[in-house]
This record gives sequence, C-alpha cells and structure tokens, in this order.
Amino acid sequence: MTDSKYFTTTKKGEIFELKAELNSDKKEKKKEAVKKVIASMTVGKDVSALFPDVVNCMQTDNLELKKLVYLYLMNYAKSQPDMAIMAVNTFVKDCEDPNPLIRALAVRTMGCIRVDKITEYLCEPLRKCLKDEDPYVRKTAAVCVAKLHDINAQLVEDQGFLDTLKDLISDSNPMVVANAVAALSEIAESHPSSNLLDLNPQSINKLLTALNECTEWGQIFILDCLANYTPKDDREAQSICERVTPRLSHANSAVVLSAVKVLMKFMEMLSKDLDYYGTLLKKLAPPLVTLLSAEPELQYVALRNINLIVQKRPEILKHEMKVFFVKYNDPIYVKLEKLDIMIRLASQANIAQVLAELKEYATEVDVDFVRKAVRAIGRCAIKVEQSAERCVSTLLDLIQTKVNYVVQEAIVVIKDIFRKYPNKYESVIATLCENLDSLDEPEARAAMIWIVGEYAERIDNADELLESFLEGFHDESTQVQLQLLTGIVKLFLKKPTETQELVQQVLSLATQDSDNPDLRDRGYIYWRLLSTDPVAAKEVVLAEKPLISEETDLIEPTLLDELICYIGTLASVYHKPPMSGPPLTTSSVQMGAVDLLGGGLDSLIGGTNFVAPPTAAVPASLGAPIGSGLSDLFDLTSGVGTLSGSYVAPKAVWLPAMKAKGLEISGTFTRQVGSISMDLQLTNKALQVMTDFAIQFNRNSFGLAPAAPLQVHAPLSPNQTVEISLPLSTVGSVMKMEPLNNLQVAVKNNIDVFYFSTLYPLHILFVEDGKMDRQMFLATWKDIPNENEAQFQIRDCPLNAEAVSSKLQSSNIFTVAKRNVEGQDMLYQSLKLTNGIWVLAELRIQPGNPSCTVRAPAPTLRPWSLPFVPCQGVVLVEDAVQASLQAWLEPESVRSLKRTFLESFHIHPVRLPR
Amino acid sequence: MISQFFILSSKGDPLIYKDFRGDSGGRDVAELFYRKLTGLPGDESPVVMHHDGRHFIHIRHSSLYLVVTTSENVSPFSLLELLSRLATLLGDYCGSLGEGTISRNVALVYELLDEVLDYGYVQTTSTEMLRNFIQTEAVVSKPFSLFDLSSVGLFGAETQQSKVAPSSAASRPVLSSRSDQSQKNEVFLDVVERLSVLIASNGSLLKVDVQGEIRLKSFLPSGSEMRIGLTEEFCVGKSELRGYGPGIRVDEVSFHSSVNLDEFESHRILRLQPPQGELTVMRYQLSDDLPSPLPFRLFPSVQWDRGSGRLQVYLKLRCDLPSKSQALNVRLHLPLPRGVVSLSQELSSPEQKAELAEGALRWDLPRVQGGSQLSGLFQMDVPGPPGPPSHGLSTSAPPLGLGPASLSFELPRHTCSGLQVRFLRLAFRPCGNANPHKWVRHLSHSDAYVIRI
Repeated sequence: MTDSKYFTTTKKGEIFELKAELNSDKKEKKKEAVKKVIASMTVGKDVSALFPDVVNCMQTDNLELKKLVYLYLMNYAKSQPDMAIMAVNTFVKDCEDPNPLIRALAVRTMGCIRVDKITEYLCEPLRKCLKDEDPYVRKTAAVCVAKLHDINAQLVEDQGFLDTLKDLISDSNPMVVANAVAALSEIAESHPSSNLLDLNPQSINKLLTALNECTEWGQIFILDCLANYTPKDDREAQSICERVTPRLSHANSAVVLSAVKVLMKFMEMLSKDLDYYGTLLKKLAPPLVTLLSAEPELQYVALRNINLIVQKRPEILKHEMKVFFVKYNDPIYVKLEKLDIMIRLASQANIAQVLAELKEYATEVDVDFVRKAVRAIGRCAIKVEQSAERCVSTLLDLIQTKVNYVVQEAIVVIKDIFRKYPNKYESVIATLCENLDSLDEPEARAAMIWIVGEYAERIDNADELLESFLEGFHDESTQVQLQLLTGIVKLFLKKPTETQELVQQVLSLATQDSDNPDLRDRGYIYWRLLSTDPVAAKEVVLAEKPLISEETDLIEPTLLDELICYIGTLASVYHKPPMSGPPLTTSSVQMGAVDLLGGGLDSLIGGTNFVAPPTAAVPASLGAPIGSGLSDLFDLTSGVGTLSGSYVAPKAVWLPAMKAKGLEISGTFTRQVGSISMDLQLTNKALQVMTDFAIQFNRNSFGLAPAAPLQVHAPLSPNQTVEISLPLSTVGSVMKMEPLNNLQVAVKNNIDVFYFSTLYPLHILFVEDGKMDRQMFLATWKDIPNENEAQFQIRDCPLNAEAVSSKLQSSNIFTVAKRNVEGQDMLYQSLKLTNGIWVLAELRIQPGNPSCTVRAPAPTLRPWSLPFVPCQGVVLVEDAVQASLQAWLEPESVRSLKRTFLESFHIHPVRLPR
Repeated sequence: MISQFFILSSKGDPLIYKDFRGDSGGRDVAELFYRKLTGLPGDESPVVMHHDGRHFIHIRHSSLYLVVTTSENVSPFSLLELLSRLATLLGDYCGSLGEGTISRNVALVYELLDEVLDYGYVQTTSTEMLRNFIQTEAVVSKPFSLFDLSSVGLFGAETQQSKVAPSSAASRPVLSSRSDQSQKNEVFLDVVERLSVLIASNGSLLKVDVQGEIRLKSFLPSGSEMRIGLTEEFCVGKSELRGYGPGIRVDEVSFHSSVNLDEFESHRILRLQPPQGELTVMRYQLSDDLPSPLPFRLFPSVQWDRGSGRLQVYLKLRCDLPSKSQALNVRLHLPLPRGVVSLSQELSSPEQKAELAEGALRWDLPRVQGGSQLSGLFQMDVPGPPGPPSHGLSTSAPPLGLGPASLSFELPRHTCSGLQVRFLRLAFRPCGNANPHKWVRHLSHSDAYVIRI
C-alpha cells in the first residue's frame, strides 16, 4: 500500500469520502484517512472543512494516529481558532498521560498552535511538564516556554516561567540544558536589558561541562552563548579557550566554526608573548583547512569566513596557500572566493607560486573567472612591490593573446599599476596603444584614455588617439566622457600649441551638449580654470596624485572587528553586520525651509505624543530631528524651572565609527541662557590612541561657528569616551544651506579628517529678546500681504492658552497679546532669530477642542531673503574647483558631500542683498 | 532559528513544506525561493540567498532541493550540516531519497521533522535516538531482492566469497523494528578516498591530497559491538612512525563520537557500537606526501599552427598502478579553444572512444590495467582570425583555451594512502538467524586530477 494514491486530483466527493472514512470505526481506516488529509494539505489543497472530524479522531490510544491528528491541528488551528479550543481538553488530558511521548507531544503541539486564546490553558500543563520526571518532556517544555513567550510575553513573565527556565540550566540532562540555553537566549534577545542569561564564571563552568556531554547541536547553542561572554581577565580567557579547543576536531563543521568564533574572540584578550597564543594559532589552521574538503556549499561558506579570518590574522593560514588553489571542478562562486583569499595571503615569500597559478587561471574558459584572475594579477602587483615587474610582464604576455576580454581587463589593471608605481613601467604604453581599437568596454576605454592623457608627453600621437575617441563622444558612457574631458585637458596643458582646437571642442561638448550635471560641472570648472589662470590650472590638474594602495580592497578595521564577532553566522557570508540599514548618505536629508513653519512650529505646540509630520522626518542618525525634537519642548521645560533652559534632544550619532576610522561622534545642540553650545561625545573605537582634535564648520545659513577651539585635554585611548561642550557663536560667514538648518562639520584628529553633516534644531536660534512691541507687532502684521500667510492645524494639543503661552515662552517664543473672540483664545506670538529676523504667529485655541490653529505670515523666512554676506566670486570659484578636483580622487562618500558644495554654487547662484 | 523547511522537486514543486515558527509568509516562500534560485546571475553564490529579511539556505541532493529559511543571523554551517543530515536521515528512514519515496512517505517525513526540529531548534539527528519516537512505518516501492543487479551503488562490495551485494540491499530503510525480522543482518563498510592532484605543465607535482573516510552502514540491531582493525603501520602526523615498513601516514584524522579509541593507540583497532543507519566512522586526510606513485601520468605534446588553424594534440597516458590493479571508467577531459570543429583521432586500442563535447575533447577509457600505457593522437581545426604566418607547425605557445586536462577515474580495491581494513569483527550473537553478512570495500576515486598543458 503506497501513499501515492493520495495525490490524485480532487474529485467532487473527495471531502465527503474522507469525512466518512474519518468517522469510521476502524482504526486502520481512520489512520489512512488522516494520512490522506495530510497529503492533500502538503500539496496545498484546503482540507480545513474536515477540522471537526479530524479533531474527533484525537481521542485515541494509538500514538501514530494521535501524532497525525496533532500534525493536522498545527496547520489549521490558526485559521480556525474556535475549533482549536475544542481540542484543548484533549491537550490538557494528554499532558497528564502516563506515556512521556504523549505528554511531550501534547506540550509541543500546544505551543505550536499560535492562537492567543489557547495560551491560558497552556500554563498549568506547561508548569507541570517543566518539572516532569522525563527529560524528553522537560526539554520539549523548555522550548515551549520560548514559543509561549513569542505569543504572549507578559504571560510568561507573570507565570514565573523564566525562573523555572533558568533552573533548567543546571539540569542533569544535557539536552534539557541545551534547549534551556537556546530558549533563554532567544527570550533575552527581545529584552536586551534583562539579565536572563546571567553569564558569570560559575554558569560558564556549568556550560563548559555540559559542552562535553550534549549532542552536537546542543554544543552549537552553548558555544554561541559562550561567545557572548566577556572573560574578566586573560587567565579566564585562556582557561575557556583550553576547554573549547577540543571542539576544533569535531566532525560537525558548525561546531568547529562556533569554536573558532569563541577562540578568535577570546584571543584578543591574550598577550601575544604568551606561549599559549602561538599554540592556539597553530591549532586554528587544520580545522579551517579541513572545511575546504567538504561539499561546495559548505566550502563556500567556509571560504567567506576564512576571508575574514585571513584579514584579521593572516598568520594563521600564511603557510596554507596551496589549499586555496582553484580546482577545475569547483563551482564558480567557490573559485572567485578562493582567488580573493589567495591575494590576501600573497606575500613576498609565495608570490612566484601565486603568479604562476594566476597566469594559468587567466587562460581558462570561464570568462568571469578569467577576468577576475587578470584583476588579481594587478592586485598582486600593487600589494607586493617586489612582484610588480613580474606582474607587468605577465600582463603583457596576456595582452599578446589578443583575446578581447583578457586585453581589456589587463589594461584596466595596468592603469592601477601606473598609479601605484608612477614613472616605472611606461615602456609598455606602446604595446597598450596597439590594442586601442579592440576596446569596447567602458571601463577599459576609460582606463586607456586615462593612460593616454596622463602620459601625453610621451605619446607622439596622443592628440590623434584622443581625437578618435571624441568623434562618438555622445555615445560613450559617462565614465568614458569624464575621462576623455580630463584627458584632453591634461593633453592641452602639456602640449598647448597643437591642441587648442581639441580642448575647445571637448569643453563645448561637455558643457553645451550634455545634460549630465557631473560632466557639465567638470567642463565648466576646467573652462573657467583655463581661462582665468592657466598656471594655476596646471598646478591643479597636473598635481601629483596620491598613491593607491591595496587597502582599498580590505574591509575597514572597525567593520572587520565587528564581523569577526559574527564568524559562523550568516553575517559572515554576506560580509555585512546584521541589521545594518541603508547606507547613510548626506543627500538623503530633505527638509525645506518651509518646514520651519510647518513641521517646526506645528510640533512645537503639539502635545508630547505628537508625531512629527513626514516632511520633518530625518534619519535619526543624522542629527536631532527638528520636528520630534521640538515636540518634546513642553515636557522638559514645564517641570524644570530654569530661566531659559530650552529643550535638549537626546544625543544622536552623527559620525559612525565605521566611516571615520574608529572615531564615533554623537551629539546634540543646547541653548542655555543666551548661549548656544554643541554637546559632543567622542568615542574612540579604533585600536590606536587619538590626539590633535580640531573642528571646523562649513559656512551655513545662520553663521554658526565654534566660539572656541575643540579642547580634548588628554589623548583619547581606545574604547574611551569624552564629553565636550563646544560653545557656538553666530558670527561666522553665511551661506544658504539646503535644508536651511543643515550644518556641515569637519573634524580632524591625528589619523585623518572626517566630514559629516547634521541638522540643528532651529529653536537654539531663538533669542531672549524676541518679544515684539505690541504696536510694532500690529503694524507689521497688517503690512504682511495675505498670500504670504501659512496656516495649519495642530491636533491633540490639550493645553489651555496659559499653558501654551508659558511653555512657548520657556523656549523664547513670546506672547505679545491675547484676546478672546467668540469663545476662542487668540494668542499673538513673536520670536526673533539670531540674525535679526522676526517670526510672527497667531494661535487660535478653542477650549475643549484639543486642536489649535496657527496662522503665520512668513515673508521674513523665505530662503532667499536671508542676508548673505557679500563674497568674492573668484574666491568661490577656486574653492569649488579645488574641492571638486580633490573629490575625484577620493572615495564616494566624501565625494558626494563635496558635491553639495558645488551644487549649491552652481544651481543657486549667490545673490547679493538688495 | 529555522523558520521553515521544505523539499522541492527538481522542477520546483513542493513535496514537503513545514513552518516551524509561524513568522513567515506561508507557502509562497517556496515558490519565491525557486524563482530566485533560477534567476540568479552566474557568478553569485546560490548557497545563501537573501530576500526581504529572509535567508534561504539549500543543498541539492538526489536532484531534490532541501531548503531551510531563517530570519535570524544563525550559523550557516549548522543549517548546511542539518540539511545533509536530514538527507541521510530521510534516506535511512524512507529507503532512499527521491521524489517518489518522499511523496509516498509524507506522513513519515513530517513526523521525522517534528522530532528533529522543535520551534526551529535542532533536537537530534541521530537515527538511533529518533527510533524511539517514530511511529509511522516507511512505505517502500518494491520488495528487495538480493538478485537485483541493476546497478552497483556506493555500498556493497563487488565480489567477496563469490557473493554479490546489490545496491538496493544497501538502500532499504533501516527501520525494521516491527516488520519482518527475517531481514538480513548486514554490515557494509567502505573505505573511500578522494584524490586531488595538480601537475604543472613541466610535469612537476604542484599539489596532491587525499581525503578519505571510512563509512559504515549497519542493519544490525543497535548496540551490537563491532571492532574494525586498521593497517597496523597506520600513523597520524608527521613525527610518528610505526613498524618496519614505510608506514601508512595521514596528516589529520577525526573520528565519530561513538568510536571507542582504547585499542587504537596499541593495536589500531576502532571499537564501536554503531546505531542502525549510515555513519562516518573516521575521516582523514593526507597531503603532499603520497606513499605510492600517482596512479596516472600524462605526457602531452601540442603542435599549433596559428596560420592554418591546425591543432595537433598527442596524449600519452601511463598508468602507474601495480600491474594487478586496474582503473575503471577513466575519462580524460581536455577543454579546447573556442570554435573547434573537426576532430580526427588515432587511438591505441579499440575499446577507447574520443569525441568532442561542449567545447572539450572527451577521451573515454573504460578500463586501464596497471603498468600499461595508452596513447591518442588528435587533430583539430581552430577557426578564427588568421594569426601571423608561421613556418610549419610550432610547438610553442598553444592557443588560449586549451587545457588543463583533467582525469576522472575509479580505482577499485585500491587506497592511495595505503590504508586497509584488516578485519571487521562483530560481537553480535545472532538469535536464530544466519551469521550477519559483512561487506568491506576499498575504493579510490578522482576528485580533481588536473594536468596542465
């Protein structure tokens, strides 16, 4: 008898047939019927109509039948919660069954039925099962606590199940311990603050003991749990390492990798001089190598992890180069990963061997792989200086093959080699030029043009070569166009006499006929530069370029450290830390000046539970969001009786450590008794000491500038945090920013200069003498034409007029007059910004109605009416040019920030005040 | 933690679908997985895929996809290990893993899954432990016959005492608790080695390594003790040497946790009480230093005339096995430059075959005796842009895309490391039944045997 007949197509009466069979007296027939129902369920047929009939079969002493019914229940209980209640009695009864298998089955299934109603019935049976005499029941009950917690966390806490679970960690049965650890870890994740898994030397000791006894899967739970523990000193770290090391030879690769993770993490704490440190290093290599003989899927995951380990501690695998040689029958994703690791391990000692391999790979059939192999040769040249010459000659050999994609790839990497070793290998340019016609990929064309432009003085027919590219200028990709523009300008600066026409041509192509802003901007910059001061142009365009290094391929140290903690997890396969959001870009901030009136005032008056309007929503990491920040004004100021202590937003991270080589900056803005300050918190998350801090602001809308230098008194050692309050003045130079309250900041330390931008809350700019004279208010109010008014409603503002007035006053928004019209309170408000601009508003509050209306004439706050300090046009042009030229040589993040300088210059020309 | 587990047929139809945590989007996920997998660009790894907060990890086994999904940052190793264990388990319980057996045993598979995983946490994958909980009987397609000689699988010796152990004897469910007790008590023990070799174009040996394992499949009642005696000269690590002979040395060795090593140090005997089902008793590896010569050497010579596009390849293959041994199913695979059209060949013996397939030359040698030498001369035309005129045939600079040559083969009754099973003794006392049958087999096969040209 086979199950295959269960898969026949549904006929009309099938459900009825099954119904009849389910209600049959014969046990065998019932069983077969339930099996049929389950088979139908698997292929996606709806058999929920049979729910009552199947539940009727539950009352049986046949374990096989019972299991089948439970299986059905689990699937359909959610869609039929009322029916599921019918089954509860049987569940409760089964939890008392003399057979431990049935007790466990009942408690397991009950937890899987994710129906809220059922949970209250679950508690008593679960409590009993957690203390059951049979370990099989106890281990099932331990997991059930996690299930119940997911459905109703409060219930689990109220019923005291967590304490019972903690007791199970000391259970005599290792399976129970493992499940209890797993359940607790999961519950602890949803309560980060709770001390559920209290790891201390005693509990660690228990876990280490259980480690030797439990199943391989339990060992993984325990090892992962150990990895979260921080030993109190190096002695403890060493003793844990000693007890974990035997796991390295386990047959289950997951156990091995979890052990590797624990060891890699605790090794940080051991002194490198220790004998044990060296021993441990030696022990790590063999298990990693063994992983490479597994199936390709496991190999791939192992290689991704090894890639991280090799970057962190290259010494572990430095002698194992051979195991990363590519096998011809490896899947392509394994091959590419191996190639990457080979480069990371390449050193002077083994470079000959590596190069010989790479050259072989470059002649294989698979195009993707061949390209990567050629690229790898270039990376070798950049990484190991002694090998550069050999790499170049290998690449030349490959170019001789005339295979199109090999040639193109080789030219791209040779460009990088030129960048790394200028004036060394230019003799090969002639060979490269021979292949000019065969290049059809943008990257290769751009690389070739770069080479021609850079070495224009050594190439006799450079102008002809570049001119030939110019013919199809509009069909080229942006990359090639930009390179061509720069290349021809370089050529012109080197051979001005013959190429004047050419440069004119490319400049006009770039500026007049192109709608690509990047290209156009670059074209204009060159044009103005060349026409203003050719000598300066030469200095800028032909300036010495910074050398490239192989570091560009490495993962940043702070990120790497973070990823090392995730060894053996999915994050290590993606090489991304879990839960990392979209990359932070400064251009993502969108908040117009209008929001000052809309979002800003709106929330200023709104209740504390006011939700900032979407326009004012700013990624929290980019600074204190103006909307939600102001909405909290009421809360903080009403209780505190300070004279002018305005609301302070909590500190937000402005500069994440990942972006600033380990320096993390978070901060907020405050206004206290007439003075503005920026409260900064600097944290050193790098491994080296930081000194020589300095800070600078870019010009901004309100002329904010540091009033004192950034004073960090002592050098900032690793993992240290320092809090600084930086007083600000508003006498700096002014430039309109987009959004208006955007502030671009540069922070320097001994390592580098970092840029970030943040938004400051505008209320720090409300000055104390912002109360306008009544007569003047009236006159001004009348003068403002109606069309300049903005009007909006604030909902959920349960305050009366006095409360609103006093709350606003504490943030320097003053009530000039108040009157009562037809039962409504009218408040007339004024405030003054640091640059002397007045803002007026009328508030209408209806008692009993929790919303109030704001009418604000806004002529004074249009962006273009901000007074700009007159500035020298020429100076600005030069600044912009320099900034942009540097930007091309720098990573994308900095570039985009700097581009905003440029755009603000080009798109919004400076207007002088009338 | 695992959110879902499903098995898809090779066409993407769900055979089994199980949701462990109720946090996922339902059955559509299976379809989503299949679409994502088939739409993946070539150089991206399909092993771990990510979609909308859900990670897919899968393996392919017997043309089925075994997939788990999770939304947490768990260990991919444990998931992959779990999947391959599940494949073994399902094989153990259903007889073999395949579309037919799975859909015949849906209820059994669900029951197994419920015991293996609870709320996405792995409970146990040991066949032995699970036996206590599993109630459903496996449904098998056809009765076993000892005379079913259709194919020879991994398990079952070729010949021993003139008896034949057919493959299907090893592919029946281990779970025979309540069914007929007349099932044969049988033990299969395989020593399987995979050989990876890389030889440079100048003939020097760049890399060699051997991955070996001793696998056991037992149909004996659990708890019956057995002793496996290995070659006495067997030693682990570089320093240790035993006996007077050259020694059988391996670099690394790991044992299954149920193996008792009390007698290993002194007598190289492994003692264990295996559970029913499959089990890897021991894994070992050896690299760089092989005790015996490599089984094959290839002497290629290539003549290439770029002008006329004529490519001539002469291959001489020498088998350095002992003359009593032989290699089976030898196949040489030589990638050729793009666009090769015609092939003319002269082969040294009639049973060989050579043809062009997928841009490569395939030379099949069904049987190669130790000590023998075979050769083949192949001539091809490579069309393409005519290169610079050359003077006749040149031996330098072969065209791009030629090579490396790779060999695949099987070496029955041969282990490259020299490791042998001396004996397999059972302490088991059969109750009224015939003596248990023991099958021991040694086999080496190629993993990647590459010779650069």
